[in-house]
Amino acid sequence: MEQKVLVVDQQKCTGCRLCELVCSVHHTGSSNPSRARIKVVKWEHVGIYLPMICNHCEKAYCVEVCPTKACHREADNNNRVVIDKNLCIGCRTCIVACPFGHPFFDVQERVTVKCDFCDGDPKCVTFCDPKAVTYVDADMIQVAKKREAANKFIDSIKQLR
Amino acid sequence: MGTEYTHPIRNVRYLRPQKEWKEIIAIYLYLAGMGAGSYVIGTLLNWFVHPSRVLSIWGLPFDFAKAAILWGPILVAIGAPFLILDLGIKRRFLYACLNPRTSWVARGFLILSIFIVFGLILLAKSVLPFEWLHAESTFWYIAEVVTIAFAFATALYTGILLKATKSIPLWNTYLLPLLFLVSALSTGSMAIILSTLGTSLLSLDATALKILMGGEQILVVIEGIVLFVYLSRRYKASEQAKDSVRLLLFGEKKLLFWGGIVLLGFIFPVVLESISSLSHGNPVFIFAAGIILLCGGFFLRLGVLSAGIREQIPMQRLMEIKYELRTMKMKEN
Repeated sequence: MEQKVLVVDQQKCTGCRLCELVCSVHHTGSSNPSRARIKVVKWEHVGIYLPMICNHCEKAYCVEVCPTKACHREADNNNRVVIDKNLCIGCRTCIVACPFGHPFFDVQERVTVKCDFCDGDPKCVTFCDPKAVTYVDADMIQVAKKREAANKFIDSIKQLR
Repeated sequence: MGTEYTHPIRNVRYLRPQKEWKEIIAIYLYLAGMGAGSYVIGTLLNWFVHPSRVLSIWGLPFDFAKAAILWGPILVAIGAPFLILDLGIKRRFLYACLNPRTSWVARGFLILSIFIVFGLILLAKSVLPFEWLHAESTFWYIAEVVTIAFAFATALYTGILLKATKSIPLWNTYLLPLLFLVSALSTGSMAIILSTLGTSLLSLDATALKILMGGEQILVVIEGIVLFVYLSRRYKASEQAKDSVRLLLFGEKKLLFWGGIVLLGFIFPVVLESISSLSHGNPVFIFAAGIILLCGGFFLRLGVLSAGIREQIPMQRLMEIKYELRTMKMKEN
């Protein structure tokens, strides 16, 4: 099965935080961005907005440190890393271990939660108008990067002419 | 007044350490370490000096000297619930106990549980006045060796738990378990000195107390050296480890480090113990030195915990560069 991943294009993000809102509505039923699985980091005075998402790392530290294996990889389901809420004890070791600061502690449910790709239909992608967050085949990331590099090269050639 | 643009990541005032593990975990690490260290020192004292002070309560002879030197497992038993207290869903702590092969948190549950159970049994055996319990046999000797091994494991585990978090470079070193082990032994030996101070429980073994005091002072000096090596090695390890050390030494944690760790943990105890030795072992100075040293041990754990800054990811570096470029542009305009 083709593996799909979430890709962030920071240049396109306008910092509207709609992704946070729809994420929290989808997962918790409440429009509370503090309970969302995606966080937009903003530096307003210089206009930098960065949506932070789970990378579902190949070598996931959160999986390594989880004492109950509530945090585990589903190899047959898009190779995603998910947290089983029924097994999580809320020790927050995974939050400390993640270099991306991704898993979040849900103060209402008292467990750690993280992005699960909304079971194959990420709401942050559906509702992101500028398409700053996309859900693409893992192989396509390299193609997109190469295309971007080629476009930059063409632009610089044009400028030289 | 113009807005001051301070770098969100690099500036010392904005260094962001982890906020998940705080005082409760520090208390847990501290009590577990001190209890285990005190048991190691107490058992060694028991093996080589055999202190004994039997007092009669309701006609039954209890050995209070043994109780004073082997009370470490009680401290660990008090400390262990603090880890449970920090959990999101406390009643699920057994899930971790049942999965010892999964992670160091789970292994820690097992190591501490075994140490507490064996330690309390041996404490009861040494203190209680039942003759059949005191029969010297290979079984009890093996039990003591196993328990002292688990006491060492408990003291080391407090450091290994943090070391297992690979994304925080300040913790990701073998020097941290070593530092916590030495600190556990120094605070543990001081806990024994305090528990016997003024009660004349070790008065029959004046040499034992002298050896204990000497050993404790040597351990404090070793702890200071290990702390220096640890911080200087971490300072050179990576950018974030350097940030952590800067945060601890010169940033917002400087009061905790210089006041709590250096002054309370090292300088005051050494000075007070020196004054005490000049005044022929004045117990007031030793008592003050002991309490201050124990506070220093706690602040050491709290300082290391609260200064842990995560490894930088490439995206953050990219953001830093973009941030710097835009700030420069804005200043030019």
